[in-house]
Amino acid sequence: MKKLTFTDLLITIMVGVVFGILMKFWDDLYTVVKPMMPVARQLLYGMWFMTGVFAFLLIRKPGVALIASIAGAGLSAFIGHGLEVLIYGFAQGLAAELLFAAFRYRKFSMVIAGVAGVFSCAASFGLDMFYGYADLETWALVVKYGLRAISAFIFTGVFAVLIVRALEATGVTQSIRPVAKEEYSLLDR
Amino acid sequence: MPAWFTPNRETWLFRVNPALKFMIFVLLLLFTLFTRNLAFVSWLAVLFGILLYGFSGYPIRKLALLSIPLIISFASSAFTMMLFGKGDTVIWQWGLFKISEESIQHGLLLGTKSLTFGFVGFTFLLTVQPVLFFYAMMQQFRLPSKYAYSFIASIRLLPVVVEEIQVRSNALKVRGITFSRGMKGWGERIQAYAVPLFAQSIRRAQRIAIAMEAKQYQMGAARTYFYPTSYSRMDVVFIGVISVSIASVSMVAFVMN
Repeated sequence: MKKLTFTDLLITIMVGVVFGILMKFWDDLYTVVKPMMPVARQLLYGMWFMTGVFAFLLIRKPGVALIASIAGAGLSAFIGHGLEVLIYGFAQGLAAELLFAAFRYRKFSMVIAGVAGVFSCAASFGLDMFYGYADLETWALVVKYGLRAISAFIFTGVFAVLIVRALEATGVTQSIRPVAKEEYSLLDR
Repeated sequence: MPAWFTPNRETWLFRVNPALKFMIFVLLLLFTLFTRNLAFVSWLAVLFGILLYGFSGYPIRKLALLSIPLIISFASSAFTMMLFGKGDTVIWQWGLFKISEESIQHGLLLGTKSLTFGFVGFTFLLTVQPVLFFYAMMQQFRLPSKYAYSFIASIRLLPVVVEEIQVRSNALKVRGITFSRGMKGWGERIQAYAVPLFAQSIRRAQRIAIAMEAKQYQMGAARTYFYPTSYSRMDVVFIGVISVSIASVSMVAFVMN
């Protein structure tokens, strides 16, 4: 399989860390919205699932989703969000990674990206059950995590894919993605 | 900011091997995450409160300031759970709000867990130097150097990224950019910031990686370290203190009930 070079790894971790900072700014918005609009708050939540999926869409190599997710969570922990976010980052990244692995790291469509986000959301739900966030009345549970899953799909499936497409247009992705066989064969002609 | 984060005195917690400290704290966090015993978690919160306030070497005033968000998150998560939590022994009900004995129990458990996590997190962060932490992870826990150096490089570049966000924010303001309402607007907002930010960061990361490899950095090669880290007597003390306190907390919580 296409292995990660040092450049890939550094970019992956940098992407994770930059997401960590963006999430800090996002968190301020989230905190303002939190008490007033519970629905909007859950809809904003998808941002936290973007890191791994985004990094994978960008670099398209195995391991990237997991590493970027841990890096993002690591930065969040480092700037004071608590060490427990590391555990969440690990679980969310792993869930997305497993989904991409199931498609042999060859599918980059909106649907797959969105489903990867929903997988991350499911992983965080699993941890929430142990943490104690999920001891809600059934209706509240369905509303909370239902909205969160929708948000995960929109953020990872739509927003992340659109950002990656915009980045492709700028040309930065050309130098970091694995070169396909067809492109090598172009050289032989 | 860094000046603010300088302790009054460097306590024994500073001299514990940073990687070992991290591993033990993460282990404790996992432990806390998976317990459902309120008494146990409450005692843990007290324990780590003592560790943070008594032994981090920071003045109470600063610690109290840092604790404000922890108190808020304790209150908000506990109250939400009390109002919407599941439970059969209903004490009070009004429309969708329902407080039951179980939901109070769950709310307190959730709030106390958040508090414990917060105390552990601050105790670690306030008594560790990030760079030494990564060096210790490489030397004592065999973390491959490629991860450690990537993290260190990324952390060093944080101020640049933050500055870029501010520049972008000002640029958007000057150009009078407005965003749509609702979900679409959030998408536009993320895109407006993320695209230039990531384009720059990717190029920068690539430059650094190439520069490091040009200076003969090799993944997986045997290497020496600029900052040697090792275990010391303090690590024995640390493990001793943590095990004795966890043991006594478990005694109080499980055996005496």
